[in-house]
Amino acid sequence: MVITLKNSIKEIKLNLHTKFADSADLTIREITLKSANRLTAAVITMEGLVDKEQLAQSVLNPLMVYDFGNMPPQRAAETIQNSVAAAADLAAFTTVDELVTYITSGFAVLVVDGAEILFAAGTQGYAFRGVSEPESEVVQRGSREGFSEPLRVNMSLLRRRMKSPELVFEQMTVGSESQTQLMLCYLQSKVSGQLLETLRSRLNACRLETVLGAGYLSDYLEDKNTSRLFSGVGISERPDTVCGKLTEGRIAIIVDGTPAVLIVPRLFVEEFQGVDDYSNRTYYATFIRLLKYLSFFIAVFLPGLYVALAQFHPEYIPSFILIKTAEALSQTPLPVTLEVLMMTLVYEIMKEAGLRIPKSLAHAVSIVGALVIGESAVTAGIISSSTLMVVATAAICSYVTASLYPPIMALRLVFIVVGGLAGLWGIVLATAVVIISLCSKTSLGVPYMSSLSPFSLRRMRDVFLRVSWKELGRHTIRVQKFPETEADHVR
Amino acid sequence: MSAETPFSSKRFLLALMLAACSVILLQNHSLSENSSFLFELASMAAGLALCFLCFVPTLLLRKLRNADILQLSARSPAVVKLPVAVFYAGYFVYTALYFLIPYTDMFHAKYYPGVSPCLITVVLLGCCVYAAVKGVNVITRFGIFLFLFAMLTNILMFGGNLTALELTADSLSWQGSTDDFWQNTRYFLTPAFIAAVFACLNAETNNFRLRQPVCALLFTGLKYAAVLFFIRFAVGAYAGRQEYPTFVLSRTAHFDRFAGVESFYLALATMSVFMIVSLLLCCVTKAADREKNLKTVVLFTLILLAMYTVSAYVNSVKEILTNQNVFIIFTGIASLLPLAGLIGGRKSNAPTLVHSM
Repeated sequence: MVITLKNSIKEIKLNLHTKFADSADLTIREITLKSANRLTAAVITMEGLVDKEQLAQSVLNPLMVYDFGNMPPQRAAETIQNSVAAAADLAAFTTVDELVTYITSGFAVLVVDGAEILFAAGTQGYAFRGVSEPESEVVQRGSREGFSEPLRVNMSLLRRRMKSPELVFEQMTVGSESQTQLMLCYLQSKVSGQLLETLRSRLNACRLETVLGAGYLSDYLEDKNTSRLFSGVGISERPDTVCGKLTEGRIAIIVDGTPAVLIVPRLFVEEFQGVDDYSNRTYYATFIRLLKYLSFFIAVFLPGLYVALAQFHPEYIPSFILIKTAEALSQTPLPVTLEVLMMTLVYEIMKEAGLRIPKSLAHAVSIVGALVIGESAVTAGIISSSTLMVVATAAICSYVTASLYPPIMALRLVFIVVGGLAGLWGIVLATAVVIISLCSKTSLGVPYMSSLSPFSLRRMRDVFLRVSWKELGRHTIRVQKFPETEADHVR
Repeated sequence: MSAETPFSSKRFLLALMLAACSVILLQNHSLSENSSFLFELASMAAGLALCFLCFVPTLLLRKLRNADILQLSARSPAVVKLPVAVFYAGYFVYTALYFLIPYTDMFHAKYYPGVSPCLITVVLLGCCVYAAVKGVNVITRFGIFLFLFAMLTNILMFGGNLTALELTADSLSWQGSTDDFWQNTRYFLTPAFIAAVFACLNAETNNFRLRQPVCALLFTGLKYAAVLFFIRFAVGAYAGRQEYPTFVLSRTAHFDRFAGVESFYLALATMSVFMIVSLLLCCVTKAADREKNLKTVVLFTLILLAMYTVSAYVNSVKEILTNQNVFIIFTGIASLLPLAGLIGGRKSNAPTLVHSM
């Protein structure tokens, strides 16, 4: 419901004090203007969100100096808008909701007692982290800039790279309590209107009270009735990556207060593409891509296969490896499935601990992990060295495609259990089910496995291979034109 | 499943043919022991040519009416619609069991002798229900991965046996009687069930053309020929004495000290049976009821399971369910029924008028 303000300063003060429950950071500075009829005005701000120097220079000083003569309040307000206020960003509004949004976003709101309109002057000046290299997406070559927390800074990072007027930022608000601002960002000529409409309706359907990060919205952006194991929503902290995706007709969602930008639709093959691929030599980029695919398979299947082979099909292991493995396994007290499962869980615990503890302690934890849990457990005969090697190899490989870590970890555990219960046959059936689940998944109507299945020979130029830019530049990719994209979502 | 996105029939055919090859090669009981390699090739060519003929009614139906047999029967009165639906539902259940039984038999005999075949079937059918609920399009997408895996397995299976190849002067001799010819031809007619699948699903594909079954059958022929060649000249008489010769071929394959290609063959056979049974469940669902997807799939899976359990304990039931002649007669009717639909079916998509007096 939109409530229009009755613009007496007294009433606005009363209204705000009720709304904010006399919150300590609400600041209302009343001033008497230089005028014959003793006009009064008020500047409303939230403490800590406003740059005081800028507020003084662009709003307060000009206001105090200007002689309003015998102007009525409404004309005085218009004069302020046209001639007095020196703020570069000045917006007029009339409702309580807008007033609350502006002041909580760092604007200074100016009220002239008795005038019909209010003004919001852009004087934001809160402290924020500067633009720095994103730790989760480090590159060898290319930009070192990553997104930061403030929405406007992130928008500027994109605009600097995309000077085209086709780049559109569309503002929305989510979270009934947090009133979090977000921007849909797309290239007008490349995006599908239907896809955009679907996205808007999904975001409007978000009924969360607070949205404190981009991840809160991921669930709302996923297609209905598709598997949630893999994510159909991409996340990037790099403006260059986001710009690249926008040119393919995708939509980015920048959420205020988080450096992670959401990108939809997201495809499986994108998880194996990196910014560096496009800067490196083609043969090297291709080699790295193939390594990433191999690592993914090792990370998911190796522990499960090891368990299945050791427990059910030792005859498939070459004899020179079998002898050593069997010898090592025979000296440990636990069955191989339990051993691998236990080691995998211990590794996950150590990883979580390593992420949360202070950096000064991380070194000590590493030593404990490597020496105590690793070497000592093998020496004591609690775990076999081959098990340790398998778990460690799988763990390292899972970080090659870091964005896929959650599904890799879940699948690895599933395959260990299935391999231990039903051997190779179980793993084969579980793989079939996972592939079916992947093939049925869509991201805003686009098949998640596009390029691979439905297969596209042309798109292979940037899937397992990375051909030269001359070749890549010949054909433009539009995500809405991928084969078998569901017509209900995208036209 | 009712709102399928149209998909490529090329992909569908290729994956199906490959899967069918892998499964059919599990069935070792049908090739004549007295025939020579060239004779087997000739009967294979005849079998595949007959398979192609099974595709012709569906191709005509697609070209002339742009519909599949179930759509055509849906436009007809209930006296036509019901028997057609019952026949196809029954046929697909029978076909699913026809492939499932030899697979579980081989699996039980060669890989896990200690595990009950019924348990294997329950687990496998559980996975098939999941796939069938996802729909035909998703299963054909799975077919692409199966195709790649089949390629890898075949390369390993043939490559691992290259050193064992022994060609003698009489390798290309011609030996076999008319009875042997028909016996072998019947065996190679098995992929004709794909024509029946297409008869029910071709409206969901977007580019079904004449050259597609031709290419797919040629590809299948090549695969069969390669398998026959290696079985005869790499494992030879040893394979002839064994059950499941293709399994033997995968077991004898090795690269120096590295063996275990049979695990790839096991995986391929499992995935192929998984895909075919899932697909047949989709066809059954479509034949029986287009809307209530999950319930229908589960219902027919339970029927499949019940029939499988009965066949496991009653040998005569198993004999009927795995009888090649019965299968071929059913397949022939299922593939030729579109022709009847073409002659007698309604052309328009308008609902049938019911005249009440």
